[in-house]
Amino acid sequence: MSYDYLFKYIIIGDTGVGKSCLLLQFTDKRFQPVHDLTIGVEFGARMVTIDSRPIKLQIWDTAGQESFRSITRSYYRGAAGALLVYDITRRETFNHLASWLEDARQHANPNMSIMLIGNKSDLAHRRAVSKEEGEQFAKENGLLFLEASARTAQNVEEAFIKTAAKILQNIQEGVFDVSNESSGIKVGYGRPQGPSGARDGAVAQRGGCCG
Amino acid sequence: MYGTQSKRDLALEFQSQIPILRPSIHARRANLTVKFQDLYGFTVEGNVDDVNVLNEVREKVRQQGRVWWALEASKGANWYLQPSISEGQSLKASLKLSAMANAITLKRLIRKGIPPVLRPKIWFSLSGAAKKKSTVPDSYYNDLTKAVEGKVTPATRQIDHDLPRTFPGHSWLDTPEGHATLRRVLVGYSFRDSDVGYCQGLNYVAALLLLVMKTEEDAFWMLAVLLENVLVSDCYTTNLSGCHVEQRVFKDLLAKKCPRIATHLEALEFDVSLVATEWFLCLFSKSLPSETTLRVWDVLFYEGAKVLFHVALAIFKMKEEELIHSHHVGDVINILQKTTHHLFDPDELLTVAFDKIGSMTTNTISKQRKKQEPAVMAELDQRLRRLNSLKLDDK
Repeated sequence: MSYDYLFKYIIIGDTGVGKSCLLLQFTDKRFQPVHDLTIGVEFGARMVTIDSRPIKLQIWDTAGQESFRSITRSYYRGAAGALLVYDITRRETFNHLASWLEDARQHANPNMSIMLIGNKSDLAHRRAVSKEEGEQFAKENGLLFLEASARTAQNVEEAFIKTAAKILQNIQEGVFDVSNESSGIKVGYGRPQGPSGARDGAVAQRGGCCG
Repeated sequence: MYGTQSKRDLALEFQSQIPILRPSIHARRANLTVKFQDLYGFTVEGNVDDVNVLNEVREKVRQQGRVWWALEASKGANWYLQPSISEGQSLKASLKLSAMANAITLKRLIRKGIPPVLRPKIWFSLSGAAKKKSTVPDSYYNDLTKAVEGKVTPATRQIDHDLPRTFPGHSWLDTPEGHATLRRVLVGYSFRDSDVGYCQGLNYVAALLLLVMKTEEDAFWMLAVLLENVLVSDCYTTNLSGCHVEQRVFKDLLAKKCPRIATHLEALEFDVSLVATEWFLCLFSKSLPSETTLRVWDVLFYEGAKVLFHVALAIFKMKEEELIHSHHVGDVINILQKTTHHLFDPDELLTVAFDKIGSMTTNTISKQRKKQEPAVMAELDQRLRRLNSLKLDDK
């Protein structure tokens, strides 16, 4: 299937916050409460349409345990978007956000769009982090923000799509040099008129990988 | 999310009891994905060809068993458990010679596979686990598990979180009994070595050890000998420094043994850690089919950690042509993941690993590790300082 752009996303956050579940809900529209622990890199991909432009999202998911964070440097490379996830029922997963952001700033493209997600909104009766705190953190750090539930699918679609819309907006405003692959953006075949700079320099590629 | 195609919906369920899998003619014609249980109770999804390969593997396992029985008949039971040459300094020359001959036979034999029924005994002895266990009182494991019962630490909390996420759906591991047993082994070990505590990846290793070894106590000792003697040290400590060292050594080996691949992957900015982290921390148990993993472990316990490099290099080598024609990092990961998931024939992998990679001595690998250690420690130290300064800023 042809697309105008391919965006690489990464999902980051503490172990057990629901990274793999958010990915599965978005790509397969199902919730699998029990799944294999992620140790290496797992992929998901889906087409979305934004402003009537077909965009392919290639989403990378990886381990969240603290010790693994020293290894994930190459995982950040070339990501256009990141979903930074915490669990609204576990305070410590919220407290660790700053150090996740620090890793992201260190290793990722500075223009990467980041969506903060307070996951497990269906467990509001066990809430340990208020929505306002999430909003506040996002505001202070220039992140998009949503509370979502991988179980009920609430806001999952929105989280991925709003991030893509933000990236697209950045492209249109010329923030990204899309001819440079380290931006995490690839330009697809058969792309209609796009922003200047993208057309000449970009290598047209059909995304052959990751389904 | 590997293999979540809609093909799954078409999957045919095969009963685990059926010793020889016979995919129907319809499945053959339609090239369907079939679902079945392998020798160790794992659900496998594959096409009809994969089923046929697995049937052949089962037959080869039986044949290999006959070779081992025949040797027992001629050399005596437990011939393979005789002291190795280095330990037998005081042996007479004739005995030394026979020990050496046995060691050569054994190495060759183990590379061809240990029959599943003999694995518990042979692994326990050849890995050094038996020796390790013999240095402490018989009640060590029972005392340890009793002493730590009911204690809560960050490690036990993480273990509890990961138990249902360790091979979910497995017919024994994913039962209350399976969870409780795996928990005792992992929690026990987290108290034995508090530097390691618990690191994700160990859950998979311990789970597979439980399936192979006859008792949970033996599985515990196998885990201990692996972490303390077989693998590079600090593989599973808080900053995974040992694992970082292995990745760098592996990167250099890839450049040396498979230069075409390494040059191409470097151009794509592909970092080996994207695939090798899982390989080195789970010892392939999460990547390769179970019998293939256990065949790797057969050799690992006898020849040492260099075996992991042989196998990792072999996986790249087998896909050389595909890899050098890949255009993106994503393609590379996909090729390697697909390859490992479908390596149902252990000999296909091990032949490349030991006959086509060329020899690597434990000595050279140790030197390589020594060479990489300073850079790894400096990098980890830098990261730690960066994160610490962040904490100071917050105050």
